Amino acid sequence: MKSPGSITARDHILDLKWNPDGTRLLVAPVSGPVLVANDAGAPLEEIPGHGMGNGSPDWFCGEPATCGFDGKIRCGSHEWKPVRGMIEHVRTSPDGAFLAAAQGKVLHIFDSAGSDEKSLRDLPAGVSDFAWNPKSPGEIATVGSGKAMLWRLGEKEPFARFDSGGASLLVRWSGDGRWLATAEQSQSVHVYDIPRDYELNMSGYESKVRALAFSADGKRLATAGSAVVTVWPCASKNGPEGAKPIQVDGSECEVEALDFSPSTGQLATGDGKGTLLVVTFEKGQFRRKRARLGVGISALAWHPSKPLLAVGHSTGLVTWISLEG
Amino acid sequence: MSRIPVTILTGFLGAGKTTLLNRILGENHGLRIAVIENEFGEVGIDHELVINAEEELFEMNNGCICCTVRGDLIRILGNLMKRRDKFDHILIETTGLADPGPVVQTFFVDADLREQTVVNGVVTVVDARHFSRHVDDTHEAEEQVAFADVILLNKCDLATPEELQETECRIRAINALAVIHRTKRAEIDIKKVLEVGGFNLDRATELNPHFLDAHGHHHHHHSDISSVGIEAEGECDGKKLNDWISKLVRDQGQDIFRMKGVFAVKGQADRVVFQGVHMLIDAASGGLWAGRPRKNSLVFIGRKLDREALTSGFRSCLA
Repeated sequence: MKSPGSITARDHILDLKWNPDGTRLLVAPVSGPVLVANDAGAPLEEIPGHGMGNGSPDWFCGEPATCGFDGKIRCGSHEWKPVRGMIEHVRTSPDGAFLAAAQGKVLHIFDSAGSDEKSLRDLPAGVSDFAWNPKSPGEIATVGSGKAMLWRLGEKEPFARFDSGGASLLVRWSGDGRWLATAEQSQSVHVYDIPRDYELNMSGYESKVRALAFSADGKRLATAGSAVVTVWPCASKNGPEGAKPIQVDGSECEVEALDFSPSTGQLATGDGKGTLLVVTFEKGQFRRKRARLGVGISALAWHPSKPLLAVGHSTGLVTWISLEG
Repeated sequence: MSRIPVTILTGFLGAGKTTLLNRILGENHGLRIAVIENEFGEVGIDHELVINAEEELFEMNNGCICCTVRGDLIRILGNLMKRRDKFDHILIETTGLADPGPVVQTFFVDADLREQTVVNGVVTVVDARHFSRHVDDTHEAEEQVAFADVILLNKCDLATPEELQETECRIRAINALAVIHRTKRAEIDIKKVLEVGGFNLDRATELNPHFLDAHGHHHHHHSDISSVGIEAEGECDGKKLNDWISKLVRDQGQDIFRMKGVFAVKGQADRVVFQGVHMLIDAASGGLWAGRPRKNSLVFIGRKLDREALTSGFRSCLA
């Protein structure tokens, strides 16, 4: 592993987002300015932060879109403050046409002109998290108060809903559009097989599930609820049901961040003591490379097309790690 | 790592919470206080340290109220705890119609929050003139008083001495332990609001159930929420005590808002202090008895409490 560069933000790194062509990386600390850097780790731009806390940013219409506890969304020269209330993340639809942001019981959907007429309002519960369907850009899932609901833009009622109870912290939609997975406060993971309208509940994690990631092809789901990462197989007809997951050990404390490489299929994991694992899967087995970076890892983001990983730390440091060759 | 103190501010609509918050934010006290505000619809507080968040209830266990926590707080506080420039204090303002239980329970249930924060107390602002009407009309006003460590009997200038006396009696009948401060326009020394220590187990050793005898059950009231205090000389059998409390919270936890106790357990040199909110309980050492008479003190605040059953149940735990 080689490190071609690094930059330092003012605070603990909350999230990292590459733009679609991988030329720029958005670096969001929990507080202070959001940074933009290139793929060699050189700083390009500093964007004002969002008061008491930043949310997770994304790229929209070629510009960084940021949000935060001040209830504002900024994208290029535009600034929106839809209603009162914090905004924890903005996410761009897979086709780049819409930007979504949850604010209490409203899921704002902005188009490139700033219109939000497709927004979902008066939802039955506050939205904890949401995810676009990578296979169908007009579909979005929301979770909150133990319910997952799947929506089509322009329709007032969800086209599917799953009510497993519990307390969902995160939701992710698999790259093949088949699975929806939620990370739960109650030490479990809920997985929904959307075509079969079927729910699975995987419990027994040691803590709340802090991170969740699907491989780009949707065949693996990595989950972090302890120092061991559990990777569930999702390729077969029944998916994780009755299957034995792969348990990736080697971390020294709770795993805080996970990301699958879209180009190589490798899984990167980072723990609170700075242990980075890069896991390669082969025929039901895995091998891993380990690096002790010394400072807690809080965010990971693989480059969209290269074996290059951005690693965010609890100190505000972001390092670029190349796995080429 | 020192834990960041958290104060929970409750009170019925119009009681004066926002006035108190503005006072806390505007006063020159030298503390950096982050405020999480859930009150929407009223005039918002425009201040750089205020976070507006819609309350988001998480039912951890199929609708059991004791396992209901606040998802928005878990995420906001998780974010604030990661900041390099930490706050001196965090204040959470609930909506006027909120049950404070899920807010308090959040700090018992989430491991990260338990490690990084400490609930300093529940402060409830009460409208001195309209409290009786609020209690007659809703459960929330009563529950906010039942959970309180400190009560600001506010707008005293708008009530007659008789109304004040009646209101204070009703409050005492519900919660005999809370400290009551009479205020006008929420004018109060901020230390009396922030330095409460209601959930601090060290402070639990100051528990005095005799206080209940002086204030608790003399007054007639219409509420089914009340306080029960128990005191007994001697020592408890640790296993019996554990079994009794476990069964009690399992069977009646939904109706028990707050519990505090200090016990002399046979074979243990130190005081055992405990506190609970609904079914969630927490116990720790309260330091050595150091020559003081070994005795047991216990207070419950809850709905439909059976004083005789609680007393006899506890006495069966004596060694």
